[in-house]
Amino acid sequence: MILAKGKLYDNSAQEQILSGLAAEINLTRSEKELPLEAVIAALDKLGCMAENGVFDARLAELGLADLTATVHEAACLLRRESLLCKLRNELGEAPFLPHSTAPPAGQTALTTQLLPLGTLFHIAAGNLDGLPAVSVAEGLLTGNINLLKLPQADQGISIEILQQLIALEPRISDFLYVFDTPSSDLAAMQRLAELADGIIVWGGDAAVTAVRHLAPVGAKLIEWGHKLGFAYISGDPPTAELAELAEHILFTKQLLCSSCQTIFLDSDAMDTVHAFCRRFLPLMEEAALRHPAGDISTAAEITLRRYHARLERAMGGGAADNLVYQGKYCCLTACQDSSLALSDLFGSCLVKRLPRRSLFTQLRQHKGYLQTAGLICPEAERPALANLLARAGVTRVMRAGHMSATFCGEAHDGEYALRRYLRAVDIE
Amino acid sequence: MDARTRLFRWPKPYDLPGTNALFLQAVRDNCQYHYEHCSPYRAILDDAGFAPQQIKTDDDLAALPFLPTLLFKNHALFSMPRSRMLIRATSTGTRGKFSQVGFETSGLLCGLHMVLRIGALRQLFSWRPAHYIVLGYQPRRENKTAVTKTAFGATLFTPALSRAYALRYRDGTYQADLDSLIQTLCRHGRSAFPTRLMGFPSYTYFLLRRMEEQGIRLQLPAGSRILLGGGWKQFYHEQVEKEVLYQLAKRVLGIAEQDIIEFFGAVEHPILYCDCPRHHFHVPIYSRVIIRDVHTLQPLPNGRPGLVNLITPMVRATPLLSVMTDDLGVLHDGETCGCGIQSPYLELLGRVGLKDIKTCAAGAAELLREVKR
Repeated sequence: MILAKGKLYDNSAQEQILSGLAAEINLTRSEKELPLEAVIAALDKLGCMAENGVFDARLAELGLADLTATVHEAACLLRRESLLCKLRNELGEAPFLPHSTAPPAGQTALTTQLLPLGTLFHIAAGNLDGLPAVSVAEGLLTGNINLLKLPQADQGISIEILQQLIALEPRISDFLYVFDTPSSDLAAMQRLAELADGIIVWGGDAAVTAVRHLAPVGAKLIEWGHKLGFAYISGDPPTAELAELAEHILFTKQLLCSSCQTIFLDSDAMDTVHAFCRRFLPLMEEAALRHPAGDISTAAEITLRRYHARLERAMGGGAADNLVYQGKYCCLTACQDSSLALSDLFGSCLVKRLPRRSLFTQLRQHKGYLQTAGLICPEAERPALANLLARAGVTRVMRAGHMSATFCGEAHDGEYALRRYLRAVDIE
Repeated sequence: MDARTRLFRWPKPYDLPGTNALFLQAVRDNCQYHYEHCSPYRAILDDAGFAPQQIKTDDDLAALPFLPTLLFKNHALFSMPRSRMLIRATSTGTRGKFSQVGFETSGLLCGLHMVLRIGALRQLFSWRPAHYIVLGYQPRRENKTAVTKTAFGATLFTPALSRAYALRYRDGTYQADLDSLIQTLCRHGRSAFPTRLMGFPSYTYFLLRRMEEQGIRLQLPAGSRILLGGGWKQFYHEQVEKEVLYQLAKRVLGIAEQDIIEFFGAVEHPILYCDCPRHHFHVPIYSRVIIRDVHTLQPLPNGRPGLVNLITPMVRATPLLSVMTDDLGVLHDGETCGCGIQSPYLELLGRVGLKDIKTCAAGAAELLREVKR
């Protein structure tokens, strides 16, 4: 399905739409502007609808009923107050008003103004539900024309949401084109990339690398890659905070970039690691009971993978020094090493020692993958440890239970997305 | 004669009560054999604190450590030197990896007894010659897949007048040629001798659908049969109700439901499961099925769905004693079938797998995609 100028087309119309696209875009960009207020009003109404459950039935139809709460939570980020907060945090007050550069006396003053980057090509490869719509919303807030390539597993929900948005504000139709071209259609991907001033890619290393090859020189690359989350624990952690960490691990099934994969303990001793596993495992088991693994075939696959790993260890094929604490529906692995690593997901966390003096050096080895750290430590040490984590490259230092929470006004992977979708123009 | 041989020579292939003690003894012997001859197997049993000699009751079968089919894909597990194995076969590799399994002469002889007993019950053997249409691979020396070997073996059930294959080896690769197969079938429709179609249910279904689309209606001679085996494999999402396939076969080939026989088996559990006239897979005396909870792997009572764990003492070359498949299934009480066979029957529900999981944790997508089974 293709969405162009507010209308739906079959994929067979792709060639025809692509061949006229450059002219359409040029016409829109030379003659039309998308007023910020119009976008805010439309997103606000859309958020209101989502919060009031307008999309719930559709989500249930798509088998995504368990996402209802997440959608309601995300919807609040589309409300006017949240959007204004985001704009203020990322761009400052009244960002789109032209202003003088006001240089020191004797130098020429310029009028400077933020304008849209132009045409954004969003490649929402294999990502989370509803994410393509969020990416486009950011592009619209900054007045850009948005070409969206849907991930293959989208099931059509994004197109429905965006059609609704156009219904609320028809002027958006000139600024939004949606394609569900497969990534393997390199010719089409190339043509879309060539139309773009900025290419936004969501996805893992393979997707990002592919887009780097595809992007023409002169198109700005904005990469939202996959990350690895971890928890850092110093001192004697309160049980309540550990329970929140366990809840986070089992609730997210460790599938998010902010999900905790490895738990680091501020210690040199393996004894501490083992003692922690024994204390933490019952909390994981409690959380696992609240968040079962999904359908029977998924649960069976996860169970089989774990069982297979156990046999391989018994056969001496696995990392023999690592000790697995097997719980009901979850497990912890006490590891000898100290590096940040992906767990086996679905409630199988790695536990490692990492004294704070080694923290910086260790984390730098994973610089491209740092994002969220859940920090559990005595309050008095919190500022110093948060600062150490931040200097090492972490961009979110959260309470353990909030590792995957969304906060209005927060940056994304250490950046303000809206700034990257704009350019500054100076006029003498 | 050892317990295994006595078990496989037992005249009644569904007489579970009469053979249970024999089965347990054969399992105990087989377990002891692998424990002594396969060091990874011994390591697994030691790790679980399980000793072969403790197998005395049905409960002990459930406690016996089972090996997932994935383990045979990732490791070469043998309890005999290659020289003593008569056949080495591989699975068809549902997700691209293959199990390596060896069979020794004595195990294969047991298998032969089993095939003769079970085949006789379903009247698979006949002196009347037949044409064979194999919806599978043309055999060649390099093709080690068990399904090719068993399909060829099944063409020996009656004297074969001709054999035609859907996947023919040409120019260094297997090529599907359904249309010439359809022409062959049309010729057989005018023959005085019956035709036997054999192959995966998916291929059979595709072939029959294609014939129906082309408006072909045949009335194959009496005694013609369709033998299905191997499951739906990669075509799981196209799986149709058995009824649909039966009706299609009646319309297109004139083969009635009672002449469609389905088999179930795996390289990792080489026991011939043949459906009863009501198309249920009853457990034969050579095998036991334990359905296990998908979370805890604990045995479940009949009627509850879970992972399918299969046990047989047939093979010594490879520790196939207790194998965990990738299948989900449910075991039903035998008497609910009504065909007269009292042993419980296995219904397969689908395969395990991670469906539509989306992730943005670095490396997780690759981890989930990894061909692990």
